[in-house]
Amino acid sequence: MKKHDIKKLLAATMAGAMALSLTACGGSSDKGAEKETVDVTVDSIKLGEDYTDVTADIRMITHRTDIVDTKLAKIAEDFNELYPNVNIEFEAITAYADEFTTRLTTGDWGDICMIPTSVDKNELGTYFTPLGTKDALSELYEGNMLNGSTYGDTVYGLPSMANVGGIVYNKAVFEKAGVTETPKTPEEFLDALQMIKDNTDAIPLYTNFAAGWTMTAWDAYIDGGATGDPDFALEGLVKGKDPFSDRGDGTGPYAVYNTLYEAVSRGLTEDDPTTTDWEGSKGMLNKGEIGCMALGSWCLPQMQQAGDNADDICYMPFPITVDGKQYAPSAPDYNYAVNCNSSADEQIAAMCFIKYIVDESGLAQDEGGLSVVKGAEPPAVLADFDGIGLVVNNAAPAGEETLFNDVNNDSELGVNSSGEIATQIVEAATSGTKTMDELVAEWNAKWAAAQENNGITP
Amino acid sequence: MEKKSFKKWITSGTVNRNLCIFTFMLVPVTLLLVFTYIPFAKMIQFSFYDMKYIGSREFVGLKNYLEVFTRSDCFRALKLSLYYIVASFVQLALALYFASVLSFKTKGGGVFKGLMFFPYLVCGIAVGFIFKFFYTRGFVLDTVLQWCGFQLDNLPYWLKDTNINNVSVAATSVWRYMGQNMVLFIGAIMSVDSTLYEAADLDGANGWQKFRYIILPSIKTIIVLNMILSITGSLSVFEPPYVITGGDFGTGTYFVIMNKLAHESQKVGLASAMAIILFGLIFIATMIQKGIERYYLGVGDKDPIRLERKKRKEEKALLAKGGVK
Repeated sequence: MKKHDIKKLLAATMAGAMALSLTACGGSSDKGAEKETVDVTVDSIKLGEDYTDVTADIRMITHRTDIVDTKLAKIAEDFNELYPNVNIEFEAITAYADEFTTRLTTGDWGDICMIPTSVDKNELGTYFTPLGTKDALSELYEGNMLNGSTYGDTVYGLPSMANVGGIVYNKAVFEKAGVTETPKTPEEFLDALQMIKDNTDAIPLYTNFAAGWTMTAWDAYIDGGATGDPDFALEGLVKGKDPFSDRGDGTGPYAVYNTLYEAVSRGLTEDDPTTTDWEGSKGMLNKGEIGCMALGSWCLPQMQQAGDNADDICYMPFPITVDGKQYAPSAPDYNYAVNCNSSADEQIAAMCFIKYIVDESGLAQDEGGLSVVKGAEPPAVLADFDGIGLVVNNAAPAGEETLFNDVNNDSELGVNSSGEIATQIVEAATSGTKTMDELVAEWNAKWAAAQENNGITP
Repeated sequence: MEKKSFKKWITSGTVNRNLCIFTFMLVPVTLLLVFTYIPFAKMIQFSFYDMKYIGSREFVGLKNYLEVFTRSDCFRALKLSLYYIVASFVQLALALYFASVLSFKTKGGGVFKGLMFFPYLVCGIAVGFIFKFFYTRGFVLDTVLQWCGFQLDNLPYWLKDTNINNVSVAATSVWRYMGQNMVLFIGAIMSVDSTLYEAADLDGANGWQKFRYIILPSIKTIIVLNMILSITGSLSVFEPPYVITGGDFGTGTYFVIMNKLAHESQKVGLASAMAIILFGLIFIATMIQKGIERYYLGVGDKDPIRLERKKRKEEKALLAKGGVK
């Protein structure tokens, strides 16, 4: 009888303990409810002089799975020579854009991240620490490069680097095919591709269709690059009437997309777009099995390292000439930002670290991009861009910061986000289901409906 | 005094029993609530809002549901399910065939069972990548077909050609799930009383007759269950098209389109409404199948409704004639 009692008691205590442990889990999770504000700004920090005694464990979330254990780890090591008490941990996420958006809303993700494109500008202040005013930071960095991470007059992120939009090509293949000058108009470009097809065994233009995200490269050319106008993204695309229509002079979005349509329908791309292989394409370009690919300048180091012919990898502006001059779009890559829910010391340490990466590490040029620091040297691979006008889109005026995202999401065309337009082009041109004009009419209709939804009358 | 009475109370029969039930249920029920029902309730809530993942939300009532019904792409995508439903019948037929063969003594039966069950253990994403290479021009499938005498120029592009790419993709799910169905069938066949086979042997029944009159009636419940699972699965295919083709070239199923809307266009409310409509469709499809099963096959020990009605009719006719039961 007594034994029986003990058993019962044991059962009851165990049950109680389990219940307790459950509530304990629930109770400790509201960390970070109160924010600590710091009045330090990035422009006021003198690296190696200020805050060198700051002690913090900081965690950086990055999308660069490829360099997290090599280049980034080395930078953290160098940084520790100046700031010995800051311990930096990295976490690299492969599907960064999707996964990190969800984690961001929890508030407790780490201290430094790359701002995901899904964060609208008016929400920057909810998640990130102000890094300084636009005016003060524009003294140190290229002002237009900060537009993407500025809301009102406050800057919330520093661009890791700036990309230039163009075409990566294998110089040896172009020479072998008999193309002596880099093409400057869509027609010249298509002719060059035809010559590659006729005179070599290489695939003239590799679309990298199957990877999906690679198709967004085409969207990058349509505003500044195809028009030379830094206001086109807002005035022409977001507010313009029928922005995808043929402008008749070989410029604008139509010229860019039509180049892709023609290349595919003339058979100047790979046989089967559904089975392209992104990793393999790097080696193929390097070996000369591919003529060219449409990708941002960030791809250059990867293409050069993919084989023995690093010297053959070159970069040219997208072949569109506006009034006799060529332009190339230049836009900031992901921005580093600091979690505003972290403690004051962590925020200061994080600010020092991102300033160090941007100002001192040379990572941007190393990765084939431009540094956003004023007066920084361009990387050697972009030497061909001499005389080309680099166009950085102007900031949208107050109240219209989210307009592009709103219209773009409503239209489901995914300009610069999913590459839906280029995807549709490859599909239609491959199977011959729709002509370019039919596609343009569809996009214009969707875009117009989205404009109307957001109160724009073009 | 008071402590003793509390101890008595807590250890008394019903309280103790309820306490045990409650505490042991707490963990699984909490997990179920947190990971299934609360997210589901949230999704229902989201479906009434115009919202992105982050940012402000706006209540729009039934607008999202209306949009799902008026859009051309959502329900067109459901037509693709027909490919997968046909594939699932092929898969069940194959599974049933192999199960009936392998549940009797066969040389190397265990090895075959293992080999055929193996694909089910491979994760869906990996299966997608395997088949992406399998179907690539000049890779595995084309090479094997060339050994058989086909010319590469006469072979279609398995994933590009819109006449065949949905079949190619659906075939991968046959490959993956056939083994699992087979194992379920084998389990059911094993549970058939072996004396029935002996009796059938004595009566001179052949293999087909044994299958038709002993195995099939004994495992009809598990066949119907597999059919329901396959058809509801066909309505909600996601992994194969998402990984192999990304939903391009006309292979985008309902789920792939939903994913595109939610993640690429940030239309979370609309995607939630799509999910709930699909949930409703699957629910209706299951009910219809259940009804058909009850009508034609009967559930458990109950006779099918069809037979019961027939019997009742005959009885009535007999009574009307003035006959005696």
